[in-house]
Amino acid sequence: MVSERVKIEIRDLRVRYGDRVVLDGVSLDVLEGEILAVIGPAGAGKTTLLQCINRMSDMIPGMRVEGSIKIDGEDVASMRDVASLRRRIGVVFPLPVGLPMSIYDNVAFAPRMAGIRSRAVLDELVERCLRQAALFEEVKDRLGDLGTRLSGGQQQRLTIARALSLEPEILCLDEFSIAVDPVTTMRIEEVIKQLRSTMTVVLVTNLVLQARRLGDRTALFLDGRLIEVGATETIYSRNTRDARTYQYVQGLFG
Amino acid sequence: MSDAGQAVSPFMTTEKTRAGRHTESVARAVLATVTALLVLPLTAILGLLVIKGAPALSLSFLLDTPTAGMTAGGIFPTIVGTLWLVGVSLLIAAPIGVLAAIYLNEYAPENWMTRIIHLAIVNLAGVPSIVHALFGVGAFVLFLHLGTSILAASLTLAIMTLPVIIASTKEALSAVPMSFREACWVLGASRWQTIRYVVLPNSVQGILTGVILQVSRAAGETAPIMFTGAAFYLPFLPNSVHDQCMALSMHLFTLSMQVPNVPPAMPYATALVLVVLVMSVNLSSILLRSYLRARRKW
Repeated sequence: MVSERVKIEIRDLRVRYGDRVVLDGVSLDVLEGEILAVIGPAGAGKTTLLQCINRMSDMIPGMRVEGSIKIDGEDVASMRDVASLRRRIGVVFPLPVGLPMSIYDNVAFAPRMAGIRSRAVLDELVERCLRQAALFEEVKDRLGDLGTRLSGGQQQRLTIARALSLEPEILCLDEFSIAVDPVTTMRIEEVIKQLRSTMTVVLVTNLVLQARRLGDRTALFLDGRLIEVGATETIYSRNTRDARTYQYVQGLFG
Repeated sequence: MSDAGQAVSPFMTTEKTRAGRHTESVARAVLATVTALLVLPLTAILGLLVIKGAPALSLSFLLDTPTAGMTAGGIFPTIVGTLWLVGVSLLIAAPIGVLAAIYLNEYAPENWMTRIIHLAIVNLAGVPSIVHALFGVGAFVLFLHLGTSILAASLTLAIMTLPVIIASTKEALSAVPMSFREACWVLGASRWQTIRYVVLPNSVQGILTGVILQVSRAAGETAPIMFTGAAFYLPFLPNSVHDQCMALSMHLFTLSMQVPNVPPAMPYATALVLVVLVMSVNLSSILLRSYLRARRKW
C-alpha cells in the first residue's frame, strides 16, 4: 500500500509567467505510490505545478521557476538529461492527443525514442499498455489504423497507454475527463485505481467528486497557493483546517 | 390558414427579401465576371502561343542547336542550360531554406532578433529580381571571382528563391498542431526526434509544394541570370558549373529583341516550350500535394 516515503518533494515553488505570479510559494510532498488529487478553480496553478515537475516549464517562453522540486531526493532543476526525467513521468493532457501515426506506433513511440528496437519487446509492450488503459479489446484488430481517427474517449485512453509505455514512476493526469464522456471517465478511473501503489499519481481535476473517489490525499489550490492538503476523508469532512476548503468542496464558491 | 395569419408569417416573401435576393444575384454575377476576366487572358496567351508557335515546333527544334545566327535550328542548349541553372539553384536553396525554416520555427526563441529576421525574410521576398541580379553580379561574379558562370547565376537564383522557400516551409511546419509536439516532449523525445518523426513527416507536402513552386519561378526568371551566367549564344553545352550556359528565358528575350530576321514562329515556339515546362512543374506540385493530402493523418 501507500508508503510514507516521499517521492516528490516540492519546496517554496514560485512560478512567474511574465508579470503574473502563477504559483506563490508552494510546499508539498507527494508520497510514493499514492494518488494525490489536486483540486482548485481555473487559474489556481494546478497545471503549472505539473509542468514544473517534468520541466515542461522549460519549453514555455516567459515562464520562470524558483524554489525546488526533488524526485527521490534529486533536484529536478539541476538534472542534465531532461529526456530521461520525462521518461520517468507519464503525462496525460486535458484534451486527447492521438499522434498522427498508427495506434501501434503511438504506444511504441516513446520506447522507440528511448532506443528500444526489438519488435518482440515492442509487441509485448504495446499490448500490455493498451490493456492497462482498457483499450486493447476495442482496437486489437486494427492496430495499424491511425490513432487520430479514434473517438475522443478512445484517444484519451490511447494517450494513457502512451503515458504508461515507459513504465513511469510518476503519472500526472491533467483534467483527463474534460473531453471524455462519463462512461469512458469511469473506465479511466478504474484504470487509475488499478495503478494505485504501483506508481505515484498526481491527479489534477476540476471534479471535486472525482478527487474524492480516487484521491488518497487531496490538495486544494487557490490563486497559486496551496490552501490545504490532507487525507481525502478529512478534506471532504467538516473538520477541514481551512474554512475555504470546506466551502470549495461543498460547492459554496469557486 | 387565414389571410391575416399569412401576413405575419416569417417565411413569406417581402420587399426586403426580394431586395436581398436581387443583391445576391448581382454579387454572384459580378464575381463570376471577374473570375472569367482572370481566366480569359491566360487562355488567350496560351492559345496565341500554340497557334503561332506550333508550326515551328518539332522534335528537331527541341533537340538541335541554333544555327545561322540563331535564325534557324533548335533550342536544345537553352533547355539544357535552364535545367542546369534551376537544378543547381535548387540544390543550394532547398536545403538551406528548409533547414533555416526548421530552425526559425522549431528552435529560435521569440525575441527581437528573430522578429528582425522574419521581417528581413518577408522584405527580401518582395525585392525585384533585377535587384537580386545586381547583387549577384557584385557578390558572386566580382567579389567571389566566380565570373559569369552557372554557379554565379544559380547562386543568384537561390538568393532570390530562398526567402519564399523559408516562408512557405515555416508555414507548412506551423500547420502541424503544437499539441503533437507537446505530446512528444512529455514522452522524453528531444526536439530533434519530435521534428524528425512527427513534424516533418506531417508537413512534407507543404514544404515540397513551396519548393517546387520556386523551381518554376526560377525557370522563368531572366534578369537574375542575364548578367551572372546566361550567355547570348554558346557553340557548346556546359560541362561544369564554372561554364556559362544558354537559357530558355534569356533565349526568348534574345530572339524577340536582339536578333534580326528571326522567323516569327521561333520566339513563339520557344515561349511555348518555356510555358509548358513551367506549367508541368506546377502541375506536378499540384498532383503531389493532392496525393499527400489524401494520406493526411489528422
